[in-house]
Amino acid sequence: MRPGPLFALPVAVFLAVGFAMPILIVAWYSLMAPRTFDLTTVFTLANYRAAFTEGYGQPFFWSLGLAALTTLTCLLIAWPTAKVLHAHAGRVATIATALVALPIFVSESVRLFGLSLFLMPGGGIFAGSMRALFGVSIGTILNTKFAVYLGMVYIHLPFMLFPVLLGVALIPPDRVEAARDLGAGRWQVLREIELPLALPGLVIGSLLTFVLCIGANAEAAILGGRAITVVTTAIEQRFNYAQDWPMGAALTMLMIAVTAAVVFPALARVDLNRLIRR
Amino acid sequence: MPDTGADAPPALSLSGLSRSFGDTRALDDVSLDIREGEFFTVVGPSGSGKTTLLRILAGLDRPTAGTLHLRGRDIAGLPPNKRPTAMVFQSLALFDHRSVGENVAFALKMRGVGAEARRTKALELLDLVRLPRDYHDRPVTQCSGGERQRVALARALASDPEILFFDEPLSALDYRLRKTLEVELRDLQKRTGRTFVYITHSLEEAMVMSDRIGIMRDGRLVQVGDPATIYGRPRDRFVARFMGEVNVFEIAGGRLPAFDAPAPAQDGWLIVRPEALAPDAGDVQFDATVTDIYRLGSRVQMHLDTAAGTLIAELPASTRLAEGDAARFGFAVADTHRVAE
Ligand SMILES: Nc1ncnc2c1ncn2[C@@H]1O[C@H](COP(=O)(O)OP(=O)(O)OP(=O)(O)O)[C@@H](O)[C@H]1O
Ligand SMILES: [Mg+2]
Repeated sequence: MRPGPLFALPVAVFLAVGFAMPILIVAWYSLMAPRTFDLTTVFTLANYRAAFTEGYGQPFFWSLGLAALTTLTCLLIAWPTAKVLHAHAGRVATIATALVALPIFVSESVRLFGLSLFLMPGGGIFAGSMRALFGVSIGTILNTKFAVYLGMVYIHLPFMLFPVLLGVALIPPDRVEAARDLGAGRWQVLREIELPLALPGLVIGSLLTFVLCIGANAEAAILGGRAITVVTTAIEQRFNYAQDWPMGAALTMLMIAVTAAVVFPALARVDLNRLIRR
Repeated sequence: MPDTGADAPPALSLSGLSRSFGDTRALDDVSLDIREGEFFTVVGPSGSGKTTLLRILAGLDRPTAGTLHLRGRDIAGLPPNKRPTAMVFQSLALFDHRSVGENVAFALKMRGVGAEARRTKALELLDLVRLPRDYHDRPVTQCSGGERQRVALARALASDPEILFFDEPLSALDYRLRKTLEVELRDLQKRTGRTFVYITHSLEEAMVMSDRIGIMRDGRLVQVGDPATIYGRPRDRFVARFMGEVNVFEIAGGRLPAFDAPAPAQDGWLIVRPEALAPDAGDVQFDATVTDIYRLGSRVQMHLDTAAGTLIAELPASTRLAEGDAARFGFAVADTHRVAE
């Protein structure tokens, strides 16, 4: 039997109920008067105005900046790693890949608390070992912006690595050889052949990482102390402590808009079929 | 202009080149001098190591043993992009994410040639390989197999290398286009004085184009010589069979047991080309029945049922013989060639 439109029904229903409806409701709330809990037909843009005037710029900046920086860092780490893993395909590479994948199955907060324990000053694992073994006392980066950045990279690297691995697998080795034979140096091969051919993997990995990073707040909460407030934390506070649902909804809508502005142009540039068909 | 004097170093000098993949000896102790400006063709059965040899010459693979000199200079450690050579890959290895023009002009771009000059040169090369100029901006993925082969050809020519390697570059082309490009390639090679190393499965191609032919078998170069020598004086039965259909008769005790006739040697094998067999001719004669006839244009090939087994003869198309006819066939021992193994 050929798959017809009927086969798309379950996912269509799921998307309508689980995705479109909530967004619609959030969009509606974002147009209600501040600190109200009813959905009425009296619309106002007051929340959006507040979003731009009442100091929400900082959280937005940190979320987007951190997401961009983390994505870039993960990309820079994942590319050479994927190249090595692909070139040495076999037992060792399989084990290495499994080790990279393993942390995904451990709760993110557990891993972040582990990292926090590792970095803790004085009695922390790293500082403690340094003092016990070498007699040196060192400070800590815990509760700094750098710790948040480190945690973000640590958590999100696997989400970058696997798509990039798929991307690297899209590069036929003879194309690289042909380019070398025609006089291309290693950087020229990277720019002219490898990156364009691996592009679908790179874009998917970057989007995945970027979107996850924008939604991340555990890193900032566990490793950053009060060094950074990210936008998801700000939104959470609006909904919970402040009991200002319309404001939280407006911030959410803005976040979705920014994310969409990044994701859709990037998706339009890659041929996803190449990644699936090979 | 390369130095082509008699005492000039060879364009490429291979000495004891070997390459093993695990237990497979893909290349086994190959020594050879390829002369400056020569059209050298490598032929051999599938898996005999032709591609492996070319990859080592181009710097895409390293030999496990042996040395390689380019005009007297050891180039063992030189990466492919530093060698003045270019290759047309068996797999073509076109850049599918680029247009035809970008493929052709790739080597020029790597050298920092400007966009305008690249376009001019690419269009010239499209003319040369007989591709329409408006293919320049077309994605290579939209080209047919034969067109892709010509793009690959043009791409290698664009870098204007001193030595060009071809790994079965014309195999996907129709007969007429192949003939045209064979002549074109040979002309180009003559005109530019470049050294060409060429792999083909087509004997006709090898015979027509080459200055010298090297025959490979199981990673070894078993015979090297000009086309006439390889065809007329094969070193052994393998080379003889490889260079076309032949009749082979064992020699024992100075005689040909198959025909009970005297042989020109004590032992070994006698190679008799199909065109050496003719009705009522020669000094060794035998009775034959024509079983099959294949028309090859101006000539016909026929299978003969004889006391010595099935033999192959090739006659002018004007022959009156038809399938089922019985005739007395023969060959002149002077037209045959004897090999030891
Ligand atoms: N990368 C490799 N790994 C293992 N074995 C290889 C590799 N490359 C080639 N071989 C083996 O080496 C031998 C020679 O291969 P090669 O590709 O040189 O043959 P060829 O003469 O070009 O054949 P064809 O006419 O089919 O192209 C074959 O037995 C092949 O299986
Ligand atoms: Mg080959």
